[in-house]
Amino acid sequence: MGKNFFFDRNEPVPIDRVDGRAKVTGTATYAAEYKTQQIAYGFLVGSTIAKGRIKSLDTKMAERAPGVLSVITYLNAPKLPGYQTGKDPSKPPTAGQPLRIFYDNEIFYYDQPVALVIADTFERAVHAATLVKAQYEKAVHQTELDANLSRAKVPTGPRFEDYKRGEADAYKNAPVKIEQEYHHPIEVHNPMELASIIARWEGKEQVTVYTKTQGVEATQRSIAAAFKMPLENITVNAEHIGGAFGMGLRTWPYEIACVMGAQKIGRPLKLVLHREQMFTNVGHRPETIQKIGMGATTDGKLVGLTHEAIADTSSYEEFTEATVNISRFLYACPNVTTRYRLVPLNICTPIWMRGPGEATGAFALESAMDELAFALNLDPLEFRIRNHSDTDPERNLPWSSKHVKECYEMGAEKIGWKERKLQPRALKDGDWLIGYGMGTGSFGAFRGAATVKIKLEPDGKLLLQCSVNDMGPGTATMMTSIASNEMGWPVNQIKVEMGSTNFPPGPTQGGSTVTSTVGAAVQETCTALKEKIAELAGKAGSAFQAVKAEDLKFSATGISLQKDASVKIAYNELLTKNGLAALELTRESKAKQQQSYSMYSFSVHFVKLRVHPPTGRIRIDHVVSCADAGTIVSPKTAASQMIGGVVGGIGMALMEDMVIDHRFGRPVNNNLADYHVPVNADIPPVDVLFVNKKDPHTNPMGSKGLGEIALVGVAPAVANAVFNATGKRIRSLPITPDKLME
Amino acid sequence: MINFEYLRVSTPKAAIEALSRDNTSQWIAGGTNLIDLMKKGVMAPQKLIDISNLPLKEIKKEGNKVHIGAMALNSDVAENELIQREQPLLSLALAAGASQQLRNMATVGGNMMQRTRCPYFYNTDLPCNKRQPGSGCGALKGFNRMHAIFGASDKCIAVHPSDMCIALAALDAMVLVNGPKGDRRIPFTDFHRLPGDTPQKDNTLERGELIIGIEIPDNPYRKNVHYLKVRDRSSYAFALVSVAAAMDLEGGTIKDARLAMGGVAHKPWRLSEVETWLKGKSVSDAVFREAAQLAMRGAKAYGQNNFKLKLAPNAIVEALKAATQKT
Amino acid sequence: MATKGPHNEDPNDKALNKGRREFLKHSSLLTALAVAPPHLVKAAESALDEKAAVYFEQVPLSLEVNGVHHKLSVEPRVTLLDLLREQLALPGTKKGCDHGQCGACTVHVNGRRVLSCMSLAVMQEGKKVTTIEGLANGDQLHPMQEAFIKHDGFQCGYCTPGQIMSGIACIREGHANSDEEVREYMSGNICRCGAYPNIVKAIADVKKGGHKL
Repeated sequence: MGKNFFFDRNEPVPIDRVDGRAKVTGTATYAAEYKTQQIAYGFLVGSTIAKGRIKSLDTKMAERAPGVLSVITYLNAPKLPGYQTGKDPSKPPTAGQPLRIFYDNEIFYYDQPVALVIADTFERAVHAATLVKAQYEKAVHQTELDANLSRAKVPTGPRFEDYKRGEADAYKNAPVKIEQEYHHPIEVHNPMELASIIARWEGKEQVTVYTKTQGVEATQRSIAAAFKMPLENITVNAEHIGGAFGMGLRTWPYEIACVMGAQKIGRPLKLVLHREQMFTNVGHRPETIQKIGMGATTDGKLVGLTHEAIADTSSYEEFTEATVNISRFLYACPNVTTRYRLVPLNICTPIWMRGPGEATGAFALESAMDELAFALNLDPLEFRIRNHSDTDPERNLPWSSKHVKECYEMGAEKIGWKERKLQPRALKDGDWLIGYGMGTGSFGAFRGAATVKIKLEPDGKLLLQCSVNDMGPGTATMMTSIASNEMGWPVNQIKVEMGSTNFPPGPTQGGSTVTSTVGAAVQETCTALKEKIAELAGKAGSAFQAVKAEDLKFSATGISLQKDASVKIAYNELLTKNGLAALELTRESKAKQQQSYSMYSFSVHFVKLRVHPPTGRIRIDHVVSCADAGTIVSPKTAASQMIGGVVGGIGMALMEDMVIDHRFGRPVNNNLADYHVPVNADIPPVDVLFVNKKDPHTNPMGSKGLGEIALVGVAPAVANAVFNATGKRIRSLPITPDKLME
Repeated sequence: MINFEYLRVSTPKAAIEALSRDNTSQWIAGGTNLIDLMKKGVMAPQKLIDISNLPLKEIKKEGNKVHIGAMALNSDVAENELIQREQPLLSLALAAGASQQLRNMATVGGNMMQRTRCPYFYNTDLPCNKRQPGSGCGALKGFNRMHAIFGASDKCIAVHPSDMCIALAALDAMVLVNGPKGDRRIPFTDFHRLPGDTPQKDNTLERGELIIGIEIPDNPYRKNVHYLKVRDRSSYAFALVSVAAAMDLEGGTIKDARLAMGGVAHKPWRLSEVETWLKGKSVSDAVFREAAQLAMRGAKAYGQNNFKLKLAPNAIVEALKAATQKT
Repeated sequence: MATKGPHNEDPNDKALNKGRREFLKHSSLLTALAVAPPHLVKAAESALDEKAAVYFEQVPLSLEVNGVHHKLSVEPRVTLLDLLREQLALPGTKKGCDHGQCGACTVHVNGRRVLSCMSLAVMQEGKKVTTIEGLANGDQLHPMQEAFIKHDGFQCGYCTPGQIMSGIACIREGHANSDEEVREYMSGNICRCGAYPNIVKAIADVKKGGHKL
């Protein structure tokens, strides 16, 4: 490929979302919307206790209700071969035994499914579900993190051992230090689309599912493991995903239940969770208590940093995330200690939620940075610049690229940082106090493996296929954009097909890896296509004898020689002369083993807000979010993704909080009226600024991931701005009016 | 949801008659709360009598009163020119409630009949004396951040969720009712009730009585009015505390005032004593603060809602200030 | 439009049938409108045809959706949302919460935006319903649809039909006179991807364009 990198030639032209038309006309099809004949409807009945055993289950009334086809419980559920071995029916994120649905009578958490009621209409299934009567033998449940800290344990995985660089807890001896505890409650992903699946068996051997997953192949593997079926007998489709934010990163028990149910009734089955079940059955961002000890010299150089976190997990699996890891590398600090612990509770296993542990960790770390800067009487931005890590202090490697200082600069300029006062309560607008705050975010810039198939039609239409799907960031748009740039063809000549195991393997959508992984594969496949076209041209006519791709000018209709545009051939002629109906090729692409650089994306978020002290109301006036995410491949969708992260971060900072009544071990606000997420009126104008400098090492385009850093660092930016406005340091999220009113 | 029977009626008389025949039946109009409750299994009428087509949608001036039909939609009332001119406090309160889609569905009568949003009431596997008398009050020692600080009992600390009703309580509205035993007029402040030992009863309607409309007597509160709603997000959320404030000012003197609070009691919490106290006082922050302290007499919190003891008086001061500043 | 037939009715379900017969008896006496055709009342009362009784769990419904007249028979408990998605093959209207808490199911009924999840289908008798599928004129998108694409007013697309229906109504109602007003009057439509600023831009753009909506 030489220096023929993607954006060496031209800046990407912002293109509209390629699936935009489908989405604005209501024709984009989501999991529950696939048409299939004779579909039946399932509804799950959940346990009303949080721990114990099912004593008895009376399903007679439900079975006799009009339209009911089947009621599945642990008493009559088919014995899944994958469940019998006790291994891996729905791949666990870490250690433990995943929940085996309808396996036995044991209850691990409130609303754990105890029955699946299947009927011929949705209404009949929902009603019949209310007729299932369960009796329980209750055991004492534990759902309160605070009350169970003594049971905290080090996770079994290797990545989560205690970390020490330099001297342990060295902050204690620093001239200026702070020691604080930060807390955030359980948050729930709550994508707008409910968790949904349709399963349809063809005979006894083949099953097709349409489901809300971020990775069709991962789901395929999970179903294969549970049912002990060959992969090729399972088709998983997920073309459009109505948001997921991490909740689709594993196969959940309800999905297995639907496949099981469809098999039992011999009809296609649709199972859509109710919104309340979205709070109890498909994971959450774990409640986390963090402690930060941080010390610096009087001139503002970090001496020591200790970051501890204790988070919830379920009683049957260990869920882990990189909560404390961000403290190891974000700042230059000679002495860093991190400790991470889990407390098993009677709750569904958590799952990564946008920004995952890094967002949790950044709330504590970036709040603490603000606190220490204040203690030092330093501008928090200046404090960060003084402690900028020029290389990765954790791995002792150079960064593949890092432009955080540029982010600081451009963001500060845009938000009007110079108006900010060091002392809180210094800025007022009538009865309102004005404050400015900022927070930094980071996330690993990973690249996985993807295979892309490309097909050139005689009329110059290009078709790209990959199994990767799109929960919203604009994957198809990114793929189209890269192909358009690489081939020099208009976007309307390019079509992307994805979100199905029928297409070549791609990555799961998560961890900000898709553009790096799939984008690189698209680019490499396009390059290979051009080489192949050159080769075919050589065979097609003497004028193109022995030409290389770089000798050719590619257009949407055909090729010509770079040095003589009159020497040209149309694709249809080229294909005909080579006896081809179309030209197809498939390429796998993955990162080369790269140990010599440390690769991260970075973000810096600036917030200006106002607080009304008598009522505690907060209004965010302006947000500026800056990203160092390498080359921005699809500017329009990338900007939207950043804005979306900001909105998510505002939710985390100001309102999201799933409340459990520990007496009953169940959430009490598990609906969208009582669990608040931001509405339009909460969100101010958001300016997105990209450094847009190519990373020379991540992938051929030079891009780094964006989805997580859009959110990581937003919550502390808000909390820091609240402090600047009011002088109140809120260390326990969310920052609701009651915490601020005076 | 059970597959209830469905009837459509076109006159109040037919509606009352249909309901009286069957004690498992229920009227439905906008449905924005009833359907919600039926989906949750909190209410399970076996028959729904659709009263949405009753000819009770008018908003009109009748002598020295404004008459609003019970079937008038919340959005229609909020945006009605007569209401905006003569009863702007009502318009402001309506616009602060729910979302425009819901306001386009919900009726005035239905808004008055909506049940509390207490989560223990909504979840049938949790204790709630309002839903299931005798089962206990889950909120008393539980999640009670949203709950009452006035007039609650150890049986129930739920709050009435409406914004509209707070304004109507302040404006001395009258509720017009038809029933099997004849017609009644109920002062708005007597319509909703405190929980006492019978929290299952939200209001003083007898079974079979139908709200026909409301009347608001003429008042001087056309300018210095404010509805302040403090909530956990900027819109589309129930009130932590809300205040409906109206003043009749002459120079810097308060000739008369109206004040009611939402989110603090099982009914719209009219502050008549404070109104009387305010009469003749001069407009000042100090006066408003004193009024707010007076308003808090007898307040009692239950743990998570302790903050309301401070928020409520602050909100009263802010609402009065804002009303004063209207030009 | 075909009427959905009875399904898997269990004639031995005495409790159910008893209630149904009782209903039939007094419903014919009601001054209120009884929705069952007389011959079916008779058939079911005399228990000659249990199957006919199923029709009493369904009521006739005539309504217009996107300009198409439908004569249907539906269970009273069916919401307008489920009718659209599951029976009329119009899944463009989305189910997000099913409790009036998110706005994804917003449609226009007689020109006004309402939540279809909190609307019983039977209560829409004689009304005109417009869904996202009814906005475009053939290939010609509605200006609001165009504006959503232009301003990238969505990501996952799931709340989008509701946002668009709401956005059109927002302008029609006269609630799009400032960004602040749009934000307030669009707050009944939750977007978890966080496209709000772009949604506001799209609505402002259409409003500025002065299109007749």
